[in-house]
Amino acid sequence: MSGGSLDREPTVIARTVTRLVVPVILVTAVALLLQGHNLPGGGFIAGVLTTTAFALIYIIYGLDYLETELLHRRPTVPFGTGTGIVREYGNVFAAGLAVAGGGGLAAVALGFPFLTQGVAFFEGVPVYHEFEIASAVVFDLGVYAVVVGALLTILAVVGAE
Amino acid sequence: MSTATAFTDTHVVIAPMLVALVTAILTLVTRRSGRTQRALSLLGGVAYLVAVARLGLAVLPDGVLVYQLSGWPAPFGITLVADALAAFMLGLAAVVSLAILVFSLSYVDDQGQRVSYHPLYHFMLTGVSGAFLTGDVFNLFVWFEVMLMPSYVFVVFYSGRRHTAAALQYTVLNLVGSALMLVAIGGLYATTGTLNMADIARRLAAPAEFGIDSGPVLGLAAVLFVVFALKAGIVPFQFWVPPAYRAAPAPVSAFLAGVTKKVGVYAIVRLYFTVFAAGTLEAGLGLPGLSGRSFLAFFGPVLFVMALASMVVGGVGAVSRDDLDDVFAYSSIGQVGFIVLPLAVVATVADPAIRVLGLVAALVYSLNHAVAKSLLFLVSGAVFEAVGTLKIPQLGGLTSRRPVLSGSFFVGALALVGIPPLSGFFGKLLVFDTGARAHAAGASLAWLALAGALVGAVFTIAYLSRAWSRAFWGEVSPAVDRAGRPVVLVAVVAALAALVVAIGVGFDPVYGAAEAAAEAALDREGYVEAVDPARFEPTDESSAHALGRLPGVAP
Repeated sequence: MSGGSLDREPTVIARTVTRLVVPVILVTAVALLLQGHNLPGGGFIAGVLTTTAFALIYIIYGLDYLETELLHRRPTVPFGTGTGIVREYGNVFAAGLAVAGGGGLAAVALGFPFLTQGVAFFEGVPVYHEFEIASAVVFDLGVYAVVVGALLTILAVVGAE
Repeated sequence: MSTATAFTDTHVVIAPMLVALVTAILTLVTRRSGRTQRALSLLGGVAYLVAVARLGLAVLPDGVLVYQLSGWPAPFGITLVADALAAFMLGLAAVVSLAILVFSLSYVDDQGQRVSYHPLYHFMLTGVSGAFLTGDVFNLFVWFEVMLMPSYVFVVFYSGRRHTAAALQYTVLNLVGSALMLVAIGGLYATTGTLNMADIARRLAAPAEFGIDSGPVLGLAAVLFVVFALKAGIVPFQFWVPPAYRAAPAPVSAFLAGVTKKVGVYAIVRLYFTVFAAGTLEAGLGLPGLSGRSFLAFFGPVLFVMALASMVVGGVGAVSRDDLDDVFAYSSIGQVGFIVLPLAVVATVADPAIRVLGLVAALVYSLNHAVAKSLLFLVSGAVFEAVGTLKIPQLGGLTSRRPVLSGSFFVGALALVGIPPLSGFFGKLLVFDTGARAHAAGASLAWLALAGALVGAVFTIAYLSRAWSRAFWGEVSPAVDRAGRPVVLVAVVAALAALVVAIGVGFDPVYGAAEAAAEAALDREGYVEAVDPARFEPTDESSAHALGRLPGVAP
């Protein structure tokens, strides 16, 4: 996986650019996620964008980097399920589904049809002046987690083969 | 707006779908603890049955129940419509899927159950429920996809060479089908200007008023028809059926044959007999001698040919196979012919009584096939568990070693053949009755229906008696001699066999439900009126004013 012979090691340029670019990608993804309910963007595209950031880390730093540097544990080969970081990805996927479904059910609990969304505007907020909170963000967040979890699982499992 | 209060008591409409969805999510979250997951899965199956029963009871007096998903009214939002037809199909799915679920708890190995079986099973059920409930063609596409994705995984579940090959074929074919479906739905939107089924029906009934050219709509409906025929496994779109059913685990084959196929049948009934029947054929497109100028006069002859071809292809295939699963898979192709045949008669006659009778025949036969065929696939699963093979030459003498299992097979086989008092007797009787009455009323193709049904029935007797006499009767083979005792599996199979008998003996309420479903399928006015897609249509020139009448998004 990572390491190998010296000539296959990514260049310093690639490593440095990755360090700079990944945060930018992630912030853009979050922005797309938050504006998605009434502007271009949304949970799906934000999830895909986040996955590209992780894909970049995988390609430049190797498959084990996330586990050794972020989770501080011995890397495991992500084969099958319940092993390696794939386990966490699976959890993200399941949690996303639960959030999206739960958001829809909350409307039912309040007496509205499944998936009904609402929006609230707060006037006179400092700096923002007018601030908007839309319940659709919850659903988008669920979609985001599902997409990130599913794509990263595929990436990790297929990448390990 | 009074809509909010009307919504709350119709949550019962969406309940089956939500129960399946929530169960799928819960079994996914609890996948690390096998026992909890299985308990939740079983609980979800029972809750699904309860939710469907409640929906059935609510539909019974009220007729058509409408649910506007997320509060957007038809035709702008996604509308769920529960009428007697949807409730009948949901009931069929609920009963069969619960039996299959209990069977899988003991049949599928621990690892398989923990990893993915239960979430996928309930996602598949979610897709099926959504497809039965939706009143929007694009949403129908979405539910088809939700239903298909788990089935791709299930076909490759054992991941051997044969399974992978079958799954590849199955996946590619269904992806092509989905692409076709999407193209056809896009075209329908472009030509009719709406995706809401009730709205399509309303606009097709008055094409001049909405500026619709019915020629392209007919063509797109025909493209869509291909997709549904593919899902239902009707000849000439049957070739994926045998490899996929053989590759999938036995309970999943039971689900695919018993429930998923019926979604294709339901889509044909709902879209072509309720919605597209509103369209008027251009002169010269219908065959001479067939009554009616509606789109159905175009699809009637097509349905005839496909039904007869299915019976022959399925029959010949099943007679010549040496693997129990293969026999049942080909038999499924033939039996779908019996469901489509009365539909073909309905499409070509004008007499309303015969039309209702024909749809009742198709629905009762669907129910019979769902229960009996899933019973047979579960029998083959139990035989495999006990004996370790499904090759008919290596079986033999099962009656003396496993009498309950063999008896259940016998009941299921007799139900497919149509022996009274089993469920299949009434199915066959109604199919023949439809043909005979249409013939008496002077329908030109009805004799073909009678002859075809006769040929199909002879084939059914031939292949089932062949399987019975060679796999269950005769000398005890060495493999059967060493057979194990899968108690739970046999118990489930026996319970389904009892259900087959019960449906036949207590047929009256089943007939009542099927008749209500058939009337609902043909009652286009009632369907359109309940959904009421014209509510926000500008009554005069002030369309801006009409837009102002749209209800707010939410609270």
